[in-house]
Amino acid sequence: MKPSIVNELAQVVGEKFVSTREDVLHTYASSASMAKNPVRPGAVVRPSDADEIAALLKIANKHQIPVTIRSGGTSLQGEVIPKPDGLVIELMRLNGIQLFEDLRSVRVGAGVTYGELDKFLSKHGLWLPISPESALGCTVAGNVAVNGAGPGSSLFGCTGEMVLGLEIVLPNSEKIQTGSEANPYAPGPFLRYAFGPDITGLFIGSLGSLGVITSVSMKVFKRMEFFDYNMYGFDSYQQAEKFLMELKDNDVNAVFTSLYEGPVLEFFMEMMGDEYGIPPMEWPYRTVSMTIGRVREDMLKSDAKLARNLCEQTGGRVIGIEQFPKNEWEGRFWTFVRACYVHGWHWRTLYHHQTPTNSHRSVEEITKVMDKYGFLGHTAGFVTGHASTNMYPHLYFDPVDPEDEAKIVEAHDELASTLFKTGAVPFKLAPFWKGRMEGTEKYMEFLSQLKRAIDPNNIMNPGVLGGI
Amino acid sequence: MTEIDLDDLREELLQCRRCGICRNSVYEAKGFDGICPIWRNTSGFETSFMRGKIQVALALLDGTLERTAENAESLYQCALCGNCTQICAAEFHPAHIMETVRYVLNELPNESRDKIAESIKSVDNPYNEDPSSRRVWLEELGLNVPTSSEILYFVGCTSGLRIQNIAKNTALILNAAKTDFAVMENEPCCGSVMMRTGRMEEARENAEKVVDAIKATGAKKVIVSCAGCLKTLRKDYSEKFGIEMPEILHIVEYSKELLAENKLKLKSLDNIKVTYHDPCHLGREMEIYEEPREIIQAIPGVNLVEVNPNRNTAICCGAGGGLRSYDSDLSRKIAADRMKAFEETGAKTVVSACPFCETNLIAGSKLLDSDIEVVDVVDLLRRAIE
Repeated sequence: MKPSIVNELAQVVGEKFVSTREDVLHTYASSASMAKNPVRPGAVVRPSDADEIAALLKIANKHQIPVTIRSGGTSLQGEVIPKPDGLVIELMRLNGIQLFEDLRSVRVGAGVTYGELDKFLSKHGLWLPISPESALGCTVAGNVAVNGAGPGSSLFGCTGEMVLGLEIVLPNSEKIQTGSEANPYAPGPFLRYAFGPDITGLFIGSLGSLGVITSVSMKVFKRMEFFDYNMYGFDSYQQAEKFLMELKDNDVNAVFTSLYEGPVLEFFMEMMGDEYGIPPMEWPYRTVSMTIGRVREDMLKSDAKLARNLCEQTGGRVIGIEQFPKNEWEGRFWTFVRACYVHGWHWRTLYHHQTPTNSHRSVEEITKVMDKYGFLGHTAGFVTGHASTNMYPHLYFDPVDPEDEAKIVEAHDELASTLFKTGAVPFKLAPFWKGRMEGTEKYMEFLSQLKRAIDPNNIMNPGVLGGI
Repeated sequence: MTEIDLDDLREELLQCRRCGICRNSVYEAKGFDGICPIWRNTSGFETSFMRGKIQVALALLDGTLERTAENAESLYQCALCGNCTQICAAEFHPAHIMETVRYVLNELPNESRDKIAESIKSVDNPYNEDPSSRRVWLEELGLNVPTSSEILYFVGCTSGLRIQNIAKNTALILNAAKTDFAVMENEPCCGSVMMRTGRMEEARENAEKVVDAIKATGAKKVIVSCAGCLKTLRKDYSEKFGIEMPEILHIVEYSKELLAENKLKLKSLDNIKVTYHDPCHLGREMEIYEEPREIIQAIPGVNLVEVNPNRNTAICCGAGGGLRSYDSDLSRKIAADRMKAFEETGAKTVVSACPFCETNLIAGSKLLDSDIEVVDVVDLLRRAIE
């Protein structure tokens, strides 16, 4: 990047918080995503507030510099891989938390991680009930920007469902506030669907392509203290999927419901069984691992009893190994990261949603590509709200074997097409889906028009949101 | 140390999947309240914490980054405190692997590393002090301590040459318990800092010299008052060089035995509120967390309050891994940050069990203009001995 531009950036954030050093740029060339090759930016800045970000975007627009917005750098689908010689704006210094106890909401800066927020809220007996599996490194705002999900989503839906409003710096450097807080006289965040269309929603899952989310206002809830942990086994996917729907229809408060194939669970247990204290056993064709949570014990007991009955009514059996769901839930900030790392491989993923009654189709498609290309992988899923299941295929490769990785790249590409045709919905519109979403041409064109209207110079993360 | 296989090293570094939880994780259920003191006390770019350091290491190894002093800065701007290892979910030890990277890349320019190694080689201490002053503190005490005995007090360079109160009070505790002990005439440096900074070959030669010197004293048990000496003599010599050592004990471990055997009689100190700083080498590396606390709590009138985080998730004082020499301003800044946390406990005294931590915490205290006293466990224990 030209030194004169770097000087302009330094005037905004101070010399200390701008870097063009080779080593620094190298570390911003990648993220937790193993699905994209590194790309070295031209400069990285660490602003402290929305006003500085506005000034930075002015400079970027003036010089037509592509901008990548990054917070925790934990995203897995190439969302924050910069453009060559582009500008990375890292948001970790935006770190305030403001609680609105009477409004059951909290406003957090874009640099606040789930772990930090959870510690803060727990002092008040509250929580944000959904957290991604990367909760210790991931910021709340970052997860809103990718419309994530995770433990808690089985009851409360995706992260986007928790959002009451956003502070956004638009590409033209204007700062806007959405939701009830758009009224400067409002007492705080209490209503998202205010002032006409859901502008908040426009930015949820926008992958930093439409503006910079500088703070997020989220719903908070009384922290649940009562939990029931159990596993339920089924001999067919139909039984398992019916059970998931029965739980929903009967308002069983399952905060985290995962669905595993027998061989996948065996694979996990081979690696993690000892850590979890689970003896070797033969797992059924499909297993549901479930945590039911309630703020009242009597309600929990009622739900737990009902869940057991529903399992048996749908032809399943209660397995009763509580350690597994308990580890999943109590260790949710760390356990999933551990499960992803313990085997030693790197992987590509292709997050998507299915309906609970169609989740087996994802399993079938990934099994097909695994057989065709000859690699190890799996997919499991967890319920994410009203009638959806988050599926997360993992395609493993050896990071020191370029041929192995090339094979996975090809399989990954193929899987995007085949999965889409099963009815899969890519809630994170990562660039891998570009050209794979037959029948969405008009939708994608409309999205492109929106982007052009908001970001006429196309400086914000170009090419990332579905390739736009 | 065995020859490093670069493919194995790369494979191990690639265990890092760049999740970034080594930056600033707050995980209340497991006691984590922040991870990397470097990230917190610098401009905070990715190179400041372990995820970035590993990416830099890989790039320096495979040539993606040119091997310059600037590109290597992040490798040395690390206290190797190991808090990242505590939170890391992958199957490797980031802090230890960074030590290996420093060794493999030890042709990279680093003036402070080289100066320290040369000083240890030429005058047996990293401070380039006159080695003949090693036993001056003993003369000041007026104790007649021999140079050979079954129990050896291995004083260490910082206690012997910089914070001699620790050496004096250790000796007075041993004396009060009627322990016959020796102190070497020309005690060599344990070589810890050589290992941490990547001068492993010199560290091996130095270790052989240390072992010979210890053997010459006839010691069957070696007591140390420095957390770094403990880790080096008890763990590194055997693991890295295959050297067998006599029993090595930190004074907090030995004092615990003395207290259990009623060999030390303690008087009450005047209702003082203290907090404890876990040295990384004593805590995370050697898993000695309770002994110093038990000693402090054994002293009547002393009220121990914990700083958060503590034990295996404690934040480093900023002195280790060669950082104090490589970037002393940053090192002091980290110590000042740590002192702020101690102030929040309401304690008037910070107790540690490592002279290097104490040196840096005092520096941090000055930077912060704090009025908290920083002492070693042996200082406190000595005050209470009747």
